[in-house]
Amino acid sequence: MLLIPCPNCGERDEIEFDYGGRAIQYPALNNSMSDWHMVLHQRDNSTETIEEFWYHQSGCECWFKVTRNLNTHEFES
Amino acid sequence: MQIRRLKTGGCIDRSKPIYFSFNNRLLDGYEGDTLASALLANNVSLVARSIKYHRPRGIISAGLEEPCALVACADEHGMMIPNLKTTEARLNKGLTARSQNCWPFVELDIGALLQMGSALLAVGFYYKTFMWPKDWWHRVYEKFIRRAAGQGRVTYDADKRLYDKKYAHCDTLVIGSGPTGIEAALSAAESGVSVILIEQDCVIGGSVLWEKTSTDSLTTIKLKQYKNLRFMVNTLAFGQYDHGLILAVEQNKKNVESIFWRIRAKSIVFATGATEQPLVFPGNDRPGIMLAAAVRQYIYRYAVIPGKRAFLAIADQQERELTEKALQVAGVEIVGSLGEGDQITGTSGWHRLRKVHLLNKKSISCDLICVSNGWISNAQLSAQMGDKQTFATSLEQRPNPQQHTGSAKAFVDLQNDVTRDDLALAVREGYSHIELAKRYTTVGMGTDQGKTSWPNAIVELERLSAQDSSRVGLTTFRPPVSPVSFGALVGVETGQRMVPIRRTPFHNAFEKAGCVFQTTGDWLYSRYFRVGKESMNDAILREVSAVRTSVGCVDMSTLGKVDVKGRDALEFLSRVYCNNIDGIKPGRLRYVLMLREDGILYDDGTVAQLADNHFLVTLTSANAGQSWRWLNKLLQLPWPDLDVQLTPVSDHWASLAIAGPQSRNLLADLNPNFEIDKTSFPFASVKQGLLDDDTPCRVFTVSFSGELSYEINVPAGFADQLFKRVLDKGAAYDISPYGLETLDALRIEKGHISVGTEIDGRTTAADLGLGKMVSTRKAFIGSSLLQRPVLQQPDRMQLVGLIPADGSSTIPAAAHLTDAPWQVGKTQTPLGRLTATVHSPTLGHSIALALLERGPQRINQKLWAVSPVEDKSVEVLVVGNCFYDVEGSRLHE
Ligand SMILES: [Zn+2]
Repeated sequence: MLLIPCPNCGERDEIEFDYGGRAIQYPALNNSMSDWHMVLHQRDNSTETIEEFWYHQSGCECWFKVTRNLNTHEFES
Repeated sequence: MQIRRLKTGGCIDRSKPIYFSFNNRLLDGYEGDTLASALLANNVSLVARSIKYHRPRGIISAGLEEPCALVACADEHGMMIPNLKTTEARLNKGLTARSQNCWPFVELDIGALLQMGSALLAVGFYYKTFMWPKDWWHRVYEKFIRRAAGQGRVTYDADKRLYDKKYAHCDTLVIGSGPTGIEAALSAAESGVSVILIEQDCVIGGSVLWEKTSTDSLTTIKLKQYKNLRFMVNTLAFGQYDHGLILAVEQNKKNVESIFWRIRAKSIVFATGATEQPLVFPGNDRPGIMLAAAVRQYIYRYAVIPGKRAFLAIADQQERELTEKALQVAGVEIVGSLGEGDQITGTSGWHRLRKVHLLNKKSISCDLICVSNGWISNAQLSAQMGDKQTFATSLEQRPNPQQHTGSAKAFVDLQNDVTRDDLALAVREGYSHIELAKRYTTVGMGTDQGKTSWPNAIVELERLSAQDSSRVGLTTFRPPVSPVSFGALVGVETGQRMVPIRRTPFHNAFEKAGCVFQTTGDWLYSRYFRVGKESMNDAILREVSAVRTSVGCVDMSTLGKVDVKGRDALEFLSRVYCNNIDGIKPGRLRYVLMLREDGILYDDGTVAQLADNHFLVTLTSANAGQSWRWLNKLLQLPWPDLDVQLTPVSDHWASLAIAGPQSRNLLADLNPNFEIDKTSFPFASVKQGLLDDDTPCRVFTVSFSGELSYEINVPAGFADQLFKRVLDKGAAYDISPYGLETLDALRIEKGHISVGTEIDGRTTAADLGLGKMVSTRKAFIGSSLLQRPVLQQPDRMQLVGLIPADGSSTIPAAAHLTDAPWQVGKTQTPLGRLTATVHSPTLGHSIALALLERGPQRINQKLWAVSPVEDKSVEVLVVGNCFYDVEGSRLHE
């Protein structure tokens, strides 16, 4: 059970959050099919850190991006 | 009779006797006793039988590490709780305990046998009777024995006990209240930070309790001085998780069985002590063989004499001296001590130890062997998060004793009956790493988590395989450190409390109107409304007929509703939905489709414009939560620059749709303060105002049934009033409320798509015949990836309707479409699949919706709907997906 740093609420227990998946840089809507394909479907598989989205569902409903160390679960700012 | 109790000393209260029952024998002990200490005081040495060989077993330890003395105890409701450690179970009034792994006949006969004078006879009966002749074991006894095998038995009854959960936070969490833990807690408290000290035992003190003769009451007083220090006894910390989370269970509470604690700490002090390790020698499992520190604990803490004649097998000198001193206090005769280089070659006795045999052929008569093979740090909790170093260090620091050999079984794991020979076999088979040997032999995999077995197993594996410890490795430590009941983990979230039930604002009023409910997702939703004693099918026929010929009403409150405001509201919606909605005007609404980023259809709903820069969006009930999350994600992550405010208003509104040719007349009877004639309130519009009883309302002209329809939204608190008035005024039209069954029949008759059936995560808008709704002159979520070639293939599955070719057969549900009937053993490639089937009340025959390869091109073809599950094939005619009022003229009447 992680302690997740919400930008509004500070560190809160994982049960308050919903996982938003791997963080992506959204292309513009009119970007090409291959741009969207690369962003959505072609991901690297790092063993070190991951950028991910979290949603503070049972809190302030903020969506935010964090970097998490996959080995220690520590959040890096 | 507590014939083995010392007259004085110990942390027991001799003024408070407690009576309890063990194997139907009435025994007594004192407050402060564990079940184990009380049994020993009553001179009960045989407590359990072992899992595999059913060997007599006694009490080895005085704590959580106990591998042998497990019993079943009855709780106050009479429910038997299996596998309780006698060393952990506090003695309380009326405690009823029984030995486990017992031959069932013994259980039944135990009372009669007890009258013959000895409980031990009852236990021995089984062995004496069934161990010989030897070859009968496999042929005769085993199948009976297997029935009685396994560690304890669970009951099939529901657990009536109450369990609770709580949270706690602190700066410093100290686990363990021995001298180290107390020191750490006091110095942390002194510095002013918030401290929690938890102790698994029922009193503070740890080893102080048995290395001295009484509880240090001063310690408790000292702890109580600090307001920032909280201490909890009877609390087992059993798991460590990320970011300082400790899970613990507090037991022996007055009103609840246990409290499951989640404690979040900034720093954690593990002062969990160490566990003394037994010695591996032939016959080392006989009742009467006990860990040296446990012997001291029974003498000092419980004032119990664990034996009369003690033999010592303790390598460490200090440990030996402490034990000798304790035995002298208890008046126990010390009959010998294992000398350097000497070996224990075996023991004898049956229910109880009688003799120890040494290498020099000498046998010594004794009823207690105090063993110690060094101490291993209780580092399980810190090891759970990957720290194995503490274990490795304490393994290295252990004395490396003489190997004891002999013909009898030498047990390494007393709970799982794993012997040295078993480990030797594992090594011969190539499983010398502890992680492999463990799985091959089950060593260390018992409910005691191998607290007294894995360190010896590692030493034995090293010897047997002639490898050093780095090759043998260490085991992996996982929660829980000691068993925790499922009840404690589940808490109160059982039965109906497991998932909250959502009821719509109309629930109570519907209940009175004869509604039969069913769960759909989180909701308890109306299924149909029963009149008199009619069947469900009759009710559906009546409800459908009311909607098609007069008027019906249905609850639409479960739809997700989002209020969208802001300068960029239309721009936002136009990016989210694939439709061209930029031409929408205040007072009008559109049926809209939402795609996923990859172009697949995700949800349908409506967008209604209430005013300039103000919209109300509806979301499919099943997707409401997900869609809300998704809209927020888009607005907060890629498009924070848009001026849009989203408000979830799903629960604010009670929504009742009136549908049918008479619905406009019924609306007129409710007398809203706005025009409702055909021209001023056409299909796909919204109006806001008041009904004549001053109920504020929003009315939408949308239809899921294909009939003229008005969805009346009122603030949730007005639900009862609205439903009552609709029924009252509707009586003139013979109105019928309807539920999910009719809703579904009506939508299939109209060929409307639905989330979960046609919108199934694989289909595009074009697949479902809605390609024209997809804008080609703007970019929206999913527009790029919708262009993927695979989504443009002409042979994709597309939505069609099906009717039985003979006009009357029932089309099987969830069938596949093929060009020949189903035949066992014959492989067929399906051309499509059915998504919905219903017996159409309006048409009087079976109809179905299906996704069919090149569907629209196959209209008027005949295919077979085959269901291998039902072993049924029905010939069907492919038709368009709308079965009723194809032109849609009824919406505009
Ligand atoms: Zn927050």
